Amino acid sequence: MLIEIIDVIISGLLNGSVYALMAIGLALVYGVTKAFNFAYGSFYTMGGYFAWVILVQMEIPGGYYTVFLTAIPFLFIVGFLLEKFLVAPLRKRDDWQMKAMMLTLGLALFLDIGYMASFGPRLKSLPDIVEGTLEIGPLVFMKQDLVIFVLSITGLLCFAWLLNNTRVGMAVQAVAQNPAGAQIVGIPKERVFAATFAISTIMVGIGGILLSQKNFVNPQASTGIMIKAWVITAFGGMGSIKGSLYAALIIGMLEAFVGYYLGMIHIDIAVLTLLLITLAFRPQGLMGRE
Amino acid sequence: MNAKSMIKILVITYGLIGILPIFVSDSSIMMRILTMILIWSIVASCWDLIMGYAGIFSFGQVAFYVIGAYSSAILSVSLNLPPVFAIFAAGIITAIIGVLVGLPCLKLAGPYIALVTFAFQLALEPFLKGPLGKAIGSGGSRGIISVPPIEIFGISFSSSELVPFFYLALVMTLICSAVIVVILKSHWGTAFLALKDSEDFAASLGVSAFKYKLLVFGITSFITGLFGALYVHYVGILSTRMLSMEVFTVLLIMIVVGGIGQYPGVVLGAVVTVTMNELLRPMGIYRLLIMGGLVVVIVLFLPDGVTGLIRKFSVFSNRKKKEDRKVFL
Repeated sequence: MLIEIIDVIISGLLNGSVYALMAIGLALVYGVTKAFNFAYGSFYTMGGYFAWVILVQMEIPGGYYTVFLTAIPFLFIVGFLLEKFLVAPLRKRDDWQMKAMMLTLGLALFLDIGYMASFGPRLKSLPDIVEGTLEIGPLVFMKQDLVIFVLSITGLLCFAWLLNNTRVGMAVQAVAQNPAGAQIVGIPKERVFAATFAISTIMVGIGGILLSQKNFVNPQASTGIMIKAWVITAFGGMGSIKGSLYAALIIGMLEAFVGYYLGMIHIDIAVLTLLLITLAFRPQGLMGRE
Repeated sequence: MNAKSMIKILVITYGLIGILPIFVSDSSIMMRILTMILIWSIVASCWDLIMGYAGIFSFGQVAFYVIGAYSSAILSVSLNLPPVFAIFAAGIITAIIGVLVGLPCLKLAGPYIALVTFAFQLALEPFLKGPLGKAIGSGGSRGIISVPPIEIFGISFSSSELVPFFYLALVMTLICSAVIVVILKSHWGTAFLALKDSEDFAASLGVSAFKYKLLVFGITSFITGLFGALYVHYVGILSTRMLSMEVFTVLLIMIVVGGIGQYPGVVLGAVVTVTMNELLRPMGIYRLLIMGGLVVVIVLFLPDGVTGLIRKFSVFSNRKKKEDRKVFL
């Protein structure tokens, strides 16, 4: 009984940590560029397929080291070009937020069907990042879970360091606080927007590589992940990074417990109910500002 | 756009569609396409009303459509209600649910509303497939087969009698279009626009955001539910496949092609999109790939859709637009 609960908590923590990585990327990109990115989940799947192509299809040596070393620049370029060529031209219009939503929704469908057309509708499995188990008394951990947890936390810490200690990070924060003021002091606003998009794409893509080892690479997973990331950012407060972190852990736990005790089919309903109740009492989310 | 040109475009479009069955009544494919154009044009118009005019980013339109379909099917299968009454009951049920979904949205800012309504659609599928849905008679993942067709005075309107059903749908479409035009041109429509442009300023002039936002949720979900119900009695079978991303995107393309907040434009968008969707059907999976790419291209290069294109090339309306501007300045 106790061991079961500990297992559920571990799975909640594991999912929660990866969700945190993805949701914080989304909180960042919404907080800075104010663009509502509906194609976010498709980059999760893109990360999964990228790893699959390198590890299984092309069998490039080096395993996950190669994957991470190549995936980060690849996702950066994808995110950067996406902002530069698809979202930036819309900014001139008054109703660009709605237009951006529609454009990214179309892009999401294009990418998801593109994956299905090029890789087939079947699920792809990725090799485990580390094999074997670790036993501490009566508890058995999979080493893979530990590595995923550690990697996503490392990713979060890297992100925090990047945001607080580098010139790029400070420029991003300045644009988020006051776009016009940032421009006056010479921060290239457009490039910061594109860089933010690129960083968020990396975060969700890495999330895809990490979580697809457990959940398979699924061309239809994108919508679920996109909604989950949005629910977490809305729950934690749009644009609030700390709020997203707590919200991700809460939602991860809720999912694990509801999935274990009530069945997987109730997860979406439970998550939505939690979101609605929270928004009814705190429309700005857990830690959002008015 | 003024009321006169709105009505002119609507009458020409629906008039042409209404005449077509005389020539193509033998071809069941053409009749099906025409019927679907009518149904989708109203569903898309409602979306335009709530998103383009009232400025509420509601992404729950497909969910309302499916709720209308399910409530009418359940009422007529489980309770043996005659379909004519079931359709109106379904409209009212959908309107109530629409207002309930609208209530939390009143407090929320734009993107949150999109999220809540979209998540509502995603949660609807597990609900209908799960034990709760089965308890109210949704048939679980199997769906509902054998929904009875509509019967009025002994005439049955079903998918085997395409021409009568088409004209029934046309009559309902015309009534609902008239309702939409009246709403847009009445003080309600002005209130929607005022709330969209500046909610604080509108509120200071005594326009109640609470009342009008719930009103627009109620009206659009009522009409959408009505057409969802009409559709289910036409095809006779129903499953949660209606909630897929595909349906959502096709609806999105209509509004993107027609132009957001350019009312009769979305009707033209429905004509183009439904026809194209059927023509591309032999391409299999690439149809959706093309549709998705099309949304991106149209949003980038034709932000106002077909309506914007027509306006660009017509000198008359350009002059007209300048005159309009003068009035406000």
